[in-house]
Amino acid sequence: MKVNRSDKPNFVTDEERREFLKLGLKITGVLAGGSILSLVPLPEDEANALVELEGYEKTPYKPHYVMVIRQNHCVDCEKCKEACKKTNHVPDYGYRTTILEKMAEDDEGKKFSIFMPVLCNHCLNPPCVRVCPTKATTKDPKTGIVVMHYHKCIGCKTCMAACPYNARYFNEEKRAIDKCNFCWDTRLSKGEKLTACSAACPAHVRVFGDFSDKNSEVWKLVHQPDKAVWVLRPETGAKPCIFYMND
Amino acid sequence: MIEKGLKIFLCVMFLCCVLAVGAASGEDDEDYPQEPIIFTKPVKAVVFDHKLHVEENGLDCDSCHDDPFEMAAGTAEENKDFNMKALYEGKYCGQCHDGDSAFASNTRCTLCHIGVKGYNRMTGVKPKGHGHE
Repeated sequence: MKVNRSDKPNFVTDEERREFLKLGLKITGVLAGGSILSLVPLPEDEANALVELEGYEKTPYKPHYVMVIRQNHCVDCEKCKEACKKTNHVPDYGYRTTILEKMAEDDEGKKFSIFMPVLCNHCLNPPCVRVCPTKATTKDPKTGIVVMHYHKCIGCKTCMAACPYNARYFNEEKRAIDKCNFCWDTRLSKGEKLTACSAACPAHVRVFGDFSDKNSEVWKLVHQPDKAVWVLRPETGAKPCIFYMND
Repeated sequence: MIEKGLKIFLCVMFLCCVLAVGAASGEDDEDYPQEPIIFTKPVKAVVFDHKLHVEENGLDCDSCHDDPFEMAAGTAEENKDFNMKALYEGKYCGQCHDGDSAFASNTRCTLCHIGVKGYNRMTGVKPKGHGHE
């Protein structure tokens, strides 16, 4: 049988990989027309080239909650979305997480979809937190979760405009902005280990965990020498904590 | 009264003939559903296109009917083991989609998995809520 490029879980060709590494030495690698930064983890002795990843490893957060999205396993069943809605009482007109779609063609010219789960990136430098005039949204000093304090929110929507990821919506019932908080109030603070979306995913696409723990699955997934890992819109400097890969 | 009874009898006979012809042509080798079958269990949604499998890949009815699939859409879907694990074990689609006869079941996920978005497109459902999708 003819080998199809999309059979390989890691879509990156050697040529592309070389490009990443070349650029990687200058801080970044660029994939797919410049919208995406690749954080190709190099072996330990070359790791100083990865300025970007370094920033992620020296954070004050413990646990440092992040999510790794194994993008090519997503089939848009949207069980994550359903679970999120139910758990966090998200109304139909908004979302805390959703799935984006891009059409692509394989080597045989057959069309297929690339599904991309998106949610709040719980950035290390969150633009939403910087612009909020009432400190209604802050970065939790313990976990790194970008949280909302609904009673302080005046609904000015400046944070919505500032967010590079369209991860916020105005909740009419709360009369405040609402967003993903990694299910902190509904699950994590009650002892659950996973977010609702992560627990509901049948294909283990949304891997949730503690990036400050080198034995965690999220840490290990991101630190595979031969796998390309990227984040969305790296050029904003927000340092998002949702990592993407094809695995 | 007798005449009316006869008329009804003839009508019924005629209908039977029409149905019989219809059923016979249904078993014709070249007759298969023209519209894709859409599975929604256990996840929404997976598409199966008879046209593609018959015309492009040269399969005939016997290739899949009645083993692994009965000739009634939705039958397999009712089985508890109609999932990816079963496919990896060579059941259902996995009988061919094993990496030899056809691409393996654990590759090219979204060629068959069209998702909720694909389902809505094919069935004409408009997604509710925010207008960004």
